[in-house]
Amino acid sequence: MHLVLGLIIWAVWFVVLYGGLSVGCALAPPDVALGSLNWLNAVLLILTLGCTALLLYLGACCWQGRASADGDLQRQFIVHVGAAVHLLSAAAVLLVGLPVFALPPCI
Amino acid sequence: MTDRNNAAAGELQQGLGRVWANLPGLGALAAVNHTTLGLRFMVTGAVFFLIGGLLAMLMRTQLALPEQEIIGAQLYNQFFTMHGTVMMFLFAIPILEGLAIYLIPKMIGARDLVFPRLTAFAYYCYLFGGLIILLSLVMGIAPDSGWFMYTPLSSAEFAPGPGSDFWLLGITFVEISAMATGVELTVSILRTRTAGMSLRSMPIFCWYILVMALMIVFGFPPLILASILLEIERAAGLPFFAVAGGGDPILWQHLFWLFGHPDVYIIFLPAAGVVSTLIPVFAGRPLVGYRWVVLSVITTGFISFGLWVHHMFTVGIPHLAQAFFSVASMLVAVPTAIQVFAWIATLWSGRVAWSLPLLWIMGFLVVFVCGGLTGVMLALVPFNWQVHDTHFVVAHMHYVMVGGMLFPVLAALYYWLPHLSGRMASQRLGYWGFWLFFIGFNMTFLLMHLTGLEGMPRRVYTYEAGLGWDGLNLLSSVGGFVMGGGVAMIIIDVALHYRFGRQAPANPWNADTLEWATSLPPAPYNFVSLPTLSSRHPLWDQPDLPESMAAGQHGLATMAHGRRETLGTDALHGKPREIIHLPTNSWLPLLGALALAVVCISLLLRAYPAALFGVALAAALFLRWSWENGVHLKAAPLADDEPDDLPLHSRSCDGPGLWGMVVSLLANGALYLSLLFAWFYLWTASPGWRVPDERAVALLPFLAAGALLSIVMALYHRAAIRAVQGDAEGLGTRLWQISALGVVHWGLLAWVLYDAALAPTELAHDAVLLVMLLYLLIHSALAVVLTVLQALRVGYGYVGARLPYELLVLRPFWIYTLGVFWLSFAAFLLLPMAWGGQ
Repeated sequence: MHLVLGLIIWAVWFVVLYGGLSVGCALAPPDVALGSLNWLNAVLLILTLGCTALLLYLGACCWQGRASADGDLQRQFIVHVGAAVHLLSAAAVLLVGLPVFALPPCI
Repeated sequence: MTDRNNAAAGELQQGLGRVWANLPGLGALAAVNHTTLGLRFMVTGAVFFLIGGLLAMLMRTQLALPEQEIIGAQLYNQFFTMHGTVMMFLFAIPILEGLAIYLIPKMIGARDLVFPRLTAFAYYCYLFGGLIILLSLVMGIAPDSGWFMYTPLSSAEFAPGPGSDFWLLGITFVEISAMATGVELTVSILRTRTAGMSLRSMPIFCWYILVMALMIVFGFPPLILASILLEIERAAGLPFFAVAGGGDPILWQHLFWLFGHPDVYIIFLPAAGVVSTLIPVFAGRPLVGYRWVVLSVITTGFISFGLWVHHMFTVGIPHLAQAFFSVASMLVAVPTAIQVFAWIATLWSGRVAWSLPLLWIMGFLVVFVCGGLTGVMLALVPFNWQVHDTHFVVAHMHYVMVGGMLFPVLAALYYWLPHLSGRMASQRLGYWGFWLFFIGFNMTFLLMHLTGLEGMPRRVYTYEAGLGWDGLNLLSSVGGFVMGGGVAMIIIDVALHYRFGRQAPANPWNADTLEWATSLPPAPYNFVSLPTLSSRHPLWDQPDLPESMAAGQHGLATMAHGRRETLGTDALHGKPREIIHLPTNSWLPLLGALALAVVCISLLLRAYPAALFGVALAAALFLRWSWENGVHLKAAPLADDEPDDLPLHSRSCDGPGLWGMVVSLLANGALYLSLLFAWFYLWTASPGWRVPDERAVALLPFLAAGALLSIVMALYHRAAIRAVQGDAEGLGTRLWQISALGVVHWGLLAWVLYDAALAPTELAHDAVLLVMLLYLLIHSALAVVLTVLQALRVGYGYVGARLPYELLVLRPFWIYTLGVFWLSFAAFLLLPMAWGGQ
């Protein structure tokens, strides 16, 4: 599960990000004049930062599991790859979410 | 002593040969063996490749000079549609599936895939689906809306002929094959590796195939749903994609590319797996960065699902959403780059033995990296807008697909050819084939980047002279024929090698993986005995392993029981858990696929009673298939000499069937989520979305049906747990009672549908609700039928206290049925009320 948990979180976040944007724009589109400083971008940004923090935390937990995997090559393999998956997923969340700083949501 | 051992080994091999042999003559059609079926997949895929290539050459002939009328516009439309369809659906995916089917059991030290009849069924679905699609071309009524069948161009209004129907039904048929293969490969890799082969010591190719198989499981259902919805729209007028009824043609694009972009990686990953397998062999050292490559393969598998909208940058999606997909599209280059650097580092640090397969790998590196770079260019939204629907995109796609898939496949062909024929191919003809293909390919498609940048749109059957495209198109066409010459050279080489090729020595490339421990060509059972491994490179670390395996010095070296068997192991560590008994030759897969072909053709002819007959026939055959399992006489009947150390899987509580059920339900869940996506997408984005004033579905009967289903599920769960605990008293009666309650639940749900005031041909809203209700009805009916089957099997003594396995296999299906019921209630009925829709 550690091998894919980070990327599952990334996938759920991505669906919520894109779906949330669409639903937000359909239900209560922010004023275009506000540019990227609006409630919808703020929600998406908080979601992005929260998800990044969660993934980094889980990655750190996974990395700390090294100690208990001493001598068990299979567990070491899972711990190392799992930690890297969480780290990469955190980077992916942050990078994909960055445009909320710059672009208005609904045009 | 040695003579006696040799005699015993010979006797064992003969015995295994008898148990695993295909039937003679026409009986070969009942074969379920993975070696036979893998080869059939690959040969059939190669034939489709030649047909697709022929269409390409006809198109290049037409485009060679301006203002030609060699083939008219109508035929040209059919050709480019069929070229894309054949190459993507009938060649690229199936031939890689075939390669995986052929290789995976051999690489993981198994005797066969875990569901052999499913492999055979998958092959026949592929074959019949492909033939049905090709039939339309022969009849001159092929689809002509492009291989991605955008609506409304493919809808009844603009494509009134049967071409789109051939595509939708034929491709869905082929996709059943892909799904079956995806489930099969996933469970086989996770549960049938030889003892000691943990995840970290699994051959790198298996990681690629595992990720590819799971991507099929999650990636294909959106297109299956889209195809079903479009076919219903065309046949019955339900307006899922028609704006006038509240539908949206863009929904098709979303569903198609939700499949389509992962599909690119479904094709690329196995090919990259070939590269990661071959490069260490020819570099004479282990792959550099095994962990990094595993990491990048897993990451690619996920990230590739977040790119689909980059095919739709011009349809009017908000800029912010485009930016999300643009960044994700660039991001996916990172794991691919990790692999490229791992390959380069392996070659750099090894002692490279130059050979023909490696030459194809070098060609892959050059061409694919170019395709990847233009891919990053296309991920940039402004550039994408500029070159959208031009030849630049066609060139990029061919650099990625031919570079990323065909070059490695041809490397694989030359690498594994001695394995399947026992002979080596000619180096000279092979080199000619490579260079003709490489030069021809670049001549055709490098220049196409330029015609694209100069504004030549794709999918035009001719163009005016003097636009600056004339010379480039002529050279492209010449290049296409040079490439064709390369293909011809390879075909000649392969054909001749069967007659003139020198005998292949054992392990001719000094490879490290277990498939080279078989005889050349391999026996149908692969290995006489199954070893316990501790190394990622068994043949490098234990060079005498093939001999000791052939001498029967390892596990499962017995055939006295007359069963086909392989080892079932733990998914993580590869610890032995059970002996999996496998079915022998069977006509049921062929007959089941034929019944589905009857359904497909009947739907094409709009002969609905015949289609219903086909469905009933297929259901009967599948139930018979299910019946011949476990302790049935044709499978593994209970005996006095049951194995002591490891149980047979049908006597366990966690056999591969349970894993197969769970993976199948993941695919089913992806289909359901696609339906949910369609519902929410239409609700939020469709310009003409309308909601009826009155709620169409009665809530109380729906809730009553749900409550009853919850009770049924709880009762079933309890019955299964009691059987596991050894209490089978009254099990049959309980299962009959559960079935009866299930029928009442189904009846209530059917009444909800009958009573619903739906206008599905007028409103997309009601059309989606209708599909949702039908989905629930089908699942409830299936759960009841399968429970009745279990009740009958209790009566025959096939299920009981010692044999609770099948009850446990069915349990996730009941849980899934209950889950989607309540999720549907929340998403389709409750949530719209909260939004004030009804």
